Amino acid sequence: MLIGEDAVYRVLSERGLADWRALADSQLFAAQTAAGALVGTEQLPAGEGPVGDGASALVTEAAAVLRHERIPLVSYPYEWTFGMLRDAALLELELLLGALDEQLILKDASSYNVQFRGSKPVFVDVGSFERLREGEPWAGYRQFCMLFLFPLLLQAHRDVPFQPWLRGSIDGITPTEAAAVLSSTRDLFRRGVMTHVRLHARLERRYEARKGDEVKQELRKARFSSKLIKGNALRLQGLLGKLQWKAGETAWTDYRQTCTYSDADADAKQAFIRQALETNPKLVWDMGANDGAYSRIAAERADYVLAFDLDHATVDALYRSLKEEGNEKILPLVFNLADPSPGLGWRGQERRPLEDRAKPDLVLGLALIHHVCITANVPVREFVDYLRDLDANLVIEFVKREDPMVELLMSGKAEGTHPDYEISNFERVLEERFSVERRQELPSTTRVLYEARPR
Amino acid sequence: MHVLAYLDPGSGSMVLQMLLGGIASAAVAVKMFGKQIWSTIAFWKKDDDAPGAKPAAAVDTEKDPA
Repeated sequence: MLIGEDAVYRVLSERGLADWRALADSQLFAAQTAAGALVGTEQLPAGEGPVGDGASALVTEAAAVLRHERIPLVSYPYEWTFGMLRDAALLELELLLGALDEQLILKDASSYNVQFRGSKPVFVDVGSFERLREGEPWAGYRQFCMLFLFPLLLQAHRDVPFQPWLRGSIDGITPTEAAAVLSSTRDLFRRGVMTHVRLHARLERRYEARKGDEVKQELRKARFSSKLIKGNALRLQGLLGKLQWKAGETAWTDYRQTCTYSDADADAKQAFIRQALETNPKLVWDMGANDGAYSRIAAERADYVLAFDLDHATVDALYRSLKEEGNEKILPLVFNLADPSPGLGWRGQERRPLEDRAKPDLVLGLALIHHVCITANVPVREFVDYLRDLDANLVIEFVKREDPMVELLMSGKAEGTHPDYEISNFERVLEERFSVERRQELPSTTRVLYEARPR
Repeated sequence: MHVLAYLDPGSGSMVLQMLLGGIASAAVAVKMFGKQIWSTIAFWKKDDDAPGAKPAAAVDTEKDPA
C-alpha cells in the first residue's frame, strides 16, 4: 500500500491479481461501487505506477497496481459509535453474502477494513476478496466476532463501552473474554450469546492445540459447504439488525425532540460562525460537537467536517440523524481531547493519532474550554498551545467563571483551584499564540466568542 | 505502515461454523464427534468436569516439541 496525495495505491502479487480480476468481473463489484459501498478502484495500465518515495522498488515486483479513491478522513472502530460499528458489521455481512453468490469470499473480517464517508460506511479493502474454496469454513468468522459482534453485544447487553477495549486490544475481544462478561443465565437467552459467545469459547478451549489444516480436512470430509457460511451470515445479519443499545435509543429520542432549540446566545453564535466560514475551509474540526448543530452550519461552507464529542450516546444520536438524511459531509466520532487516540499496533504506526491523519483548516471550540480546563484539569496555557499546534484558524468560546455551567463544574473543587481560568489570563495567552480578529460577547454576558489566526 | 494480514481462522471457530448450520449440519456433527457430541458442546459445564470425554478427534494433540 502506498498513500499518495489524492489516491491510495495497492500493489498486487500474481495471486492477488487473479483474485482482483475475479472481483472486478463480478456484478457485486459493479453494483456496490456504484452504490458507494465499495471504495472506488481502478487498475492502472501496465507500466504505470504510483509516484513517490519508495514507490518504484515495490512496483517492479508487482503483477499489477490498483488505484483507490481517498477517504476524506480515516477513522477507527474505537472512535465509532454503536450505530456506526453495527452498520459497518452489516456492510461486511452484505458484502460477504454478495461475494458468496458469485463464488467469491472475504478472507478476513477486520472492522478496520471499513471507513466512513460522513455517515456512510465504505468498504476499503478490495484485497479481502478472494475466490471461494468450496468446503472450507469462513476464515473471517472469528475475527468478525472479535471486532464486530462481541463489542456490540457487550455494549448492548451490559453497557460495557467497546471503544476503550478495542483501543486496548487491536485484535478485539476474544470469545473467552466475551463469555466472561456475558456470563449470567439471563445472558444465555439473549440472541446469539449461547452459540457465538459461550459455545464459541468452549470450542476454542477444546480445540486450542488442534492444527487448523487438520480441522479443515475433517470439515471437508464431513461435507462442509459454503451454504453453511451463507446461513450463518444471514443469521448474524438478523441478529445485528435487531440489536439495540438502550442509551443510544434514549439519546436518539431526546435528540429528535430538542434539537431545534434556539435562544439569543445560539442565534448570535450562529451568525459569528457563519462569518468565520467565509474562507470556505476544506476541513473543519468541531470539538465537543454535542448535537452537531454547529457542525451542520460549518458543513454549509466547508468540504468536510469532523464532529467529535466524548459522549457516546450523544454522538450516536448525531450519527443516526446524519444517516437518516444521507449526510456524507459530517463525520461523527467519539473522541476525548484529554485522552486522545494514540499511535497503535506495530511500532505504534498501524493506527495513527488524529492529528497525523488530517490537519484542520478551521477549528471550532464552542462551550468546550471549561470542560478541558476545569473537568480535565488542563492548564489554560497548555490548551491554547495545543490549539496553536494544530496550525488552523480558530473560533473559540470562553465561558466565564460566573457562568452557571462553570459554577457547577467548580462546585466540587476546593476554593481557589484553577486560578488561571480567568478571562483576562485567557485573552493574554490567546494573543501570544494567535492574532485575534474578532471578539464578541454573547447576550448572556457570561460567554465570549473569538475568531483568531495562528501567529 | 502496513503489517501483513494473514489471519488464523481458529480451529474452534471453524468447528463452531459447522455446528451453527442447523439441521443440515446435525448429521455431519454426529459423524465428526460420535458419542462425544454432548461433551464437546456442553458449554455450561467446565471442560475438566468430564475427564476422558474429549472427542476422538481432539485426542493426541501434544504439541510438537521441535
